[in-house]
Amino acid sequence: MYASASGMAAQQTNLEVIANNLANADVAGFKAVSASFTEVNAGGTLGLGTASSGKRPIFLQGKLMHSGGPFDVAIDGAGFFRIERTSTSLGTGSVTHAVTRNGEFSRAADGRLRNADGWSLRDVRIPADAVGVHVAKDGSVTIDDAAGAHRSIGRLRLATFTAPEELQPLGGTVFAATRASGPERRIDAGQDGGPSIAFGMLERSNVSIIESMMQILAAQRAYEANAKGVQAADEMQRIANNLHRS
Amino acid sequence: MPGTLGDMDGMDWMASAMRAAQAQLETAAHNLANVTSDGFERVRSSLVLTDRGLEARRTRDPAQGGIRETGRGLDLALLGPGAFHVGHAQTRNGAFIRDHDGYLADQHGRRVLGSAGPIHLPENATFEPDGTVRDGEQMVGRLPLPAGTTVRSGALESSSVDAIGETLAVLTSQRAFETAQKTFGAIDETRERAVNDVGRLK
Repeated sequence: MYASASGMAAQQTNLEVIANNLANADVAGFKAVSASFTEVNAGGTLGLGTASSGKRPIFLQGKLMHSGGPFDVAIDGAGFFRIERTSTSLGTGSVTHAVTRNGEFSRAADGRLRNADGWSLRDVRIPADAVGVHVAKDGSVTIDDAAGAHRSIGRLRLATFTAPEELQPLGGTVFAATRASGPERRIDAGQDGGPSIAFGMLERSNVSIIESMMQILAAQRAYEANAKGVQAADEMQRIANNLHRS
Repeated sequence: MPGTLGDMDGMDWMASAMRAAQAQLETAAHNLANVTSDGFERVRSSLVLTDRGLEARRTRDPAQGGIRETGRGLDLALLGPGAFHVGHAQTRNGAFIRDHDGYLADQHGRRVLGSAGPIHLPENATFEPDGTVRDGEQMVGRLPLPAGTTVRSGALESSSVDAIGETLAVLTSQRAFETAQKTFGAIDETRERAVNDVGRLK
């Protein structure tokens, strides 16, 4: 009975993860999460069923699409944008660093490129006199000023990790480094075989709606099958309890 | 206490049949619970006749599970018998990661053992079907595989459990339990008659 119950719980977790993927299918830079399960087999005894062996983001490349946003960037290849957020709630203004694949930024009053959740791109600050911005494949940022002159203002660098799948999700498309992921290493875009920056583009989420729907159907069937197991075990126990009067 | 077949009476038989049916149900439930556990090898339960009545014997069914494409380089699927060695354990679940020291590890952080110990993965490691791990041209490790078994990168082996078959097993074990219980009751009733009614004068 407990084996079947563990199976039901597993399918429930599975459904929650798939539902979360579907909900974020339209969010730029979102990475599908996959829940995995392993057999519980303590000391060779059977009947303990299954347990979750963790959820991990799948960092497969999403498709790049033209977005037309004046500050939109996408990464073609591995790596992350380096972002930070200043928290003023503590009074000290501590800065939190994180990474994301979501390059949907807009220009804030202080010249920084900020996303919808208030995370700003590190490295880059757009000067007040800029009327146009361009980011090259290698991440170098140039601006056009009002007089029509071009000026280089710096370079966007990407972060990479030894074990990116161990990054801690901070909600949505933002991840933070952990001990298991290893510290952030900075890399330059646009090198041979490495990632490059696509300007004016966004990376779509890598959630496949069709695949998610199929996963939901499979999870529901598996849930029902396990529910049958619980019912059968319950029925057997009921009969066993009534043995003496049969 | 029953010792040999001859010592077993009908009630002992039916009790053993009920225990066996319960064990069959446990096995089916365990298999069903693991219908989405990658690399899970189904447990087969077969009934055997012993001098203590019916017993359910469990063995692992080494059937190959379906191969599912994931596109993730560190997902490895075994085609053929064998297992990955992780720490002191063995598994066919090849959903591996690169740990913070750069070694190939499973999701519990146990390192995968190659022929020459843990495998340190370079950033662009590739796996060849024969288990060789390469960094470009250079060989950096090798997964020990039995002859004839190959490994596929970018795919996982799904659980070998067939949900329909196991659901049937749940139902049949339930019916078998019921049958044994009914027979148990019938024997009990016969004895009741023998004790209380035989020899009674009207």
